[in-house]
Amino acid sequence: MKPLDPRLLRFAGAARSVFALGALLGVVRTFAIIAWSWFLAQAIAAVAIPVYEGLWDSAGAGRVAEGVYAPGSLPWLAAGALAAAIVRALAGWGMDVVAARGAVRVKAQLRAAALDALDARSPEATAGTPDAKLATVLGRGLDALDGYFSGYVPQFILAVVATPILVATVLFSDLLSGVTVLLVFPVIPLFMILIGLATQSVQGKQWDQLQRLSASFLDVVEGLPTLKIFRREQRQAARIERETEEYRSRTMRVLRVTFLSGFVLDLAGTFSIALVAVTVGTRLVAGEFPLALGLFVLLVLPEVFVPIRQVGAAFHDSTEGLAASEDVFALIEGKDMPEEAREEAREGSSAASADEPSAELAGREATSVADRGLARPTPASAPPGLTFSDVRLSRGGRPVAGPVRFAVEPGEFVALAGPSGAGKSSLLAAALGFLAPAGGRVGASGPIAWAGQQPGLIQGTLLENVALGSNTPDPALAREMLDRLGLHGLELDRQLGAQGSGLSGGQAQRVGIARALYRAEAVGADVVLLDEPSSALDAASEALVIDAARAEAGRGRAVLVVSHRPALLAAANRIVEIAPAEPTAALMHAEAPTQARAEAPAEAQSQPEAQAQPEAQAQPEAQAQPEAQPQPEAQPQPEAQPQPEAQPQPQRQPRVQAQTPDPQEARS
Amino acid sequence: MSVDTVLQRATPSRRRALPGQLLGILSDGAAVGLLALSMWLITRSGAQPPILHLTFAIVGVRALAIGRAAFRYAERLSSHDAALFQLAKLRADTFTALVPRVPGAIESSRRGEILATFVDDVDQLQDHPLRVRQPLIVSLTVTALTVIVVAIASPVAALILASVLALAALVGAWLARRIAGQSDRELADARSGLTDALLDRFASAGVLAAFGALGAQRARIEAAEQRLARVLLTRTRAAGLTGALVALGAGVASVATLLAVAPQAGEAFSVPVFAAIVVVPAAVFDVFAQVFAALTARRTVRSSAERVARLTAGELPSEIPVDPIASTPASAAHVAAGPAAATSGAAPGAVPAAAPAGVPVAAPVAAPVAAPGSPLLEVRDLSVAHPGGDAVITGLSFALQAGELLVLTGDSGSGKSTLALGLSRFLEYGGSYRLGGVEAREFTGAAVRGFVGLCEQQPHLFNTDIRQNLKFAREDATDEELLEVLERVGLGEWVRARGGLDAQVGERGALVSGGQMQRISLARVILADFPVVILDEPTAGVDQLVADRLLRDLLGAIPADRAVILITHTDLPTEIPVSARLAL
Repeated sequence: MKPLDPRLLRFAGAARSVFALGALLGVVRTFAIIAWSWFLAQAIAAVAIPVYEGLWDSAGAGRVAEGVYAPGSLPWLAAGALAAAIVRALAGWGMDVVAARGAVRVKAQLRAAALDALDARSPEATAGTPDAKLATVLGRGLDALDGYFSGYVPQFILAVVATPILVATVLFSDLLSGVTVLLVFPVIPLFMILIGLATQSVQGKQWDQLQRLSASFLDVVEGLPTLKIFRREQRQAARIERETEEYRSRTMRVLRVTFLSGFVLDLAGTFSIALVAVTVGTRLVAGEFPLALGLFVLLVLPEVFVPIRQVGAAFHDSTEGLAASEDVFALIEGKDMPEEAREEAREGSSAASADEPSAELAGREATSVADRGLARPTPASAPPGLTFSDVRLSRGGRPVAGPVRFAVEPGEFVALAGPSGAGKSSLLAAALGFLAPAGGRVGASGPIAWAGQQPGLIQGTLLENVALGSNTPDPALAREMLDRLGLHGLELDRQLGAQGSGLSGGQAQRVGIARALYRAEAVGADVVLLDEPSSALDAASEALVIDAARAEAGRGRAVLVVSHRPALLAAANRIVEIAPAEPTAALMHAEAPTQARAEAPAEAQSQPEAQAQPEAQAQPEAQAQPEAQPQPEAQPQPEAQPQPEAQPQPQRQPRVQAQTPDPQEARS
Repeated sequence: MSVDTVLQRATPSRRRALPGQLLGILSDGAAVGLLALSMWLITRSGAQPPILHLTFAIVGVRALAIGRAAFRYAERLSSHDAALFQLAKLRADTFTALVPRVPGAIESSRRGEILATFVDDVDQLQDHPLRVRQPLIVSLTVTALTVIVVAIASPVAALILASVLALAALVGAWLARRIAGQSDRELADARSGLTDALLDRFASAGVLAAFGALGAQRARIEAAEQRLARVLLTRTRAAGLTGALVALGAGVASVATLLAVAPQAGEAFSVPVFAAIVVVPAAVFDVFAQVFAALTARRTVRSSAERVARLTAGELPSEIPVDPIASTPASAAHVAAGPAAATSGAAPGAVPAAAPAGVPVAAPVAAPVAAPGSPLLEVRDLSVAHPGGDAVITGLSFALQAGELLVLTGDSGSGKSTLALGLSRFLEYGGSYRLGGVEAREFTGAAVRGFVGLCEQQPHLFNTDIRQNLKFAREDATDEELLEVLERVGLGEWVRARGGLDAQVGERGALVSGGQMQRISLARVILADFPVVILDEPTAGVDQLVADRLLRDLLGAIPADRAVILITHTDLPTEIPVSARLAL
């Protein structure tokens, strides 16, 4: 157990002056306590000695009456005591306020450091960590540090500053009492170290369990509808009770040890009072000691142990925060991520720092943020539109997509299809620079506008959401984009809750698309990426999304839409289909141009041909396969199974056409 | 009223709380006694009596010294144990109170608010016994006892002490009310504001990065942080001022007592007693200071309790179905026939056994059963509404026989999901809704849900492994059965690639894609084996290329005598035999 965590103190840089002021106030307060004890002791002695003088025999009482003031000086002794009490009260108040200020500053610094580290990283880097946990670590977890910085640290400083002054005072007043205190003192750290070691090891586990329990409580609350469907809600209440009961028994085991430190400190304080009271008493009886000094020592003595006792209590209150701070340091230092991702993050952050100052310009932001993942080459070197050159992607060492090779030309509307888990969204993440390819290259010729599977809305007005990333939101443009998607009824000043709560799923999805369209217009994006844009929409709304995608292509943008919806697939200029990642062989699946290709821009015609050739040739049987033919018996779930190289890849595109007559074909 | 109910839930029983309270009184009493007696001992020693006359005080001082520490240790253990014991009940009770309102009543609640309310607030409530009741009872008792003891020696000193205590209490309460009174709500708002801003930062990380809005979100987080800091500092100033008041009060009481009773020392009472009376305020104010801390904690606890009460207590909206009054198991039993009773199980507390002869069958009926002659499920002139809203579904009628497939289609906002909630008895219905010929209102909601299984459009996956996510649908399922079901929904290879049923799904299924999440959810519904199955957009997010196969698998997996309601907006494969189609 370190008395002060050096890493925490490093981040306490800005708070150092605050804590110095706190130490100064602590010294003032300590001298006020000493003055108070002195005035009060003298006053009591001044009242007592005249009464006792009648009791003593002619020989006197030895040193008992030594240094006593006349009864007449009682008023100014009382005035002195009162003044000392006032100074003590004010200094104590000042210490509290100063400590709270320090705590606020340190928390802000730590939070900023963690967010700096996270902002510099790809959003994929924290994908494995639950969002609520991250929010807890940087919210409630850091608030738990309040106890550390406004309680423990000031008390620690006070203990370091005040205790020597008080011990010296006792020593100076009476050597024997001082020695008693000094004998008791070494026992305290000894016990504290033993108890502290035991406590901290258990406390870490307790914090883990607390977090797990708090996360599981939330999990159960969020899953309550599902639980009710399966009539398991009753069992959950029992489970919560059981887990909390388990938490109680574990916590009590910890507390039995933890509270021992408080017991040791209490006992040291009270027992040294008892020791000193008894020894001073016997020496008074023997006439070896002045009464006023005895009273003074007794009044100062309890104060000797107060700071160190409060350090113990404050430390106990702050251990939760200390454990939480470990999580914050892990975020700052990037320990929560796998080694590989950390590597990327380091590169990313160093590259991003150069871009930071110019990040105010909306147009600049798009590239600077996307550059952070460093997956993309600089826009200048990339061919027009969006190109995937033999891209392979992996997450945590597991291949998730590829190898994939295709391009989306400016003005082209391409649908990206493939079974669940084939890595479609991962390819978009790579295009956005969130995921560095394990092999190959992703190139985009300019800024990207993107709408992901999750709307990802934030708290704020609708306008703020649609114009996200723009410093000067354009209400007219936002209105236009919302109207294009049929959201006429939504007012721009409508306030959304966290994660866009207050909107229906379909509305939220369309707002997410409107946001991408707004961005495309605002920054002049070359590429528009839409990930399952109509998954929560009905046919009418889907048609509006299709119109929007066509319009974007019509403006000369490269439009890539991930979807499984027939209407969307049919509307695309062509469909690129990918299969699940193949770990060993460089297997890539053919794109099959639809009839609509004839209508595609001239450049696009040659491009897919050139790319499609090798793969298409490699699997001629696949294309020849009749659509209606059932899938091979051994392979009933094509999307879930990595295709062995030798096995013909079922060609699904014609089937899609068969089911949904191509509207464009019908037109012609 | 309801706040008190919530606080009552957080309060341990008298039997559990009493030992801690008694130990606390002994401990704080020993602290006051130790200071007074040691002061008495030293002052008495100044008179140089025979040492024998001091033996009692010497022993007493030592006993109080040990007693103070030992009682305090025991008190802390005892009171924490009682509070934690209560936390288990508190969490479970609060959860149980929440159960009827979800998903019907709190659908639109903000995620951040649920996080704050049910993690922060519920756990905050354990401060009620620990930091409110215990210190209030202990410190007020010890303070009162001390004033009484002082009064025996010197009524004047007792009067001074009591007056200064009362004055300090008044000024302290006034200060706290004036400075911190309204900051409680501000504090809660500021905290949840920061939590929300952080949640948005992480849950929308991809969007914020892609739109170059991480900086803007940082500004929001910092604004929320600064707001919280302002509130915290205001509160600290108030709390600190109360602390200063306590220190000052002790000083004033001591000095006033000194000046007032000094002339009587050695006459009305002995000099050692005078010394003890003069120093006792310091110890009493130390004890009394706990009252201020407790009152501060009380405000925080009460505002937590108010938020918990708002979500869990109060009237249920009329759109939320209420279970019929449970009757005795004997009369609740309904003659069970057919596969339904055997496979669906019964509502908790109800016994799906035949009623003894002669006992009249009374409502509520234990569980719906397929009755020969009447449709499995029949609705006539049905209407369903969300709380506080107009009916989204009106005048709907259809009947469904065992083995039939009804396809309901409709655009977004046509109330497809509302209907699903109504048929699952998460929302109250108007008109008639019969299961096996019996009005659904006569069953408990759980009984209806044992008969009518809903596969949600946005299923929830629990943050655990795949096995646990499946098994709660059917507890006795073996791993082989689970794998078989996964195979059926097209996840066989996927689950093997992930290392089997132990694979984690992540928070809200974060490690599972949308399509796979639907498949796991479908697997659960298949496992639970409901007589009537409602599939709410089962292929949303699932690849269209395999959606047909998925639907065929799913419909094929359901025994022929079950009825299926399929809610969808996409076309069905032609070979699937549809009994009826209905547009909403």
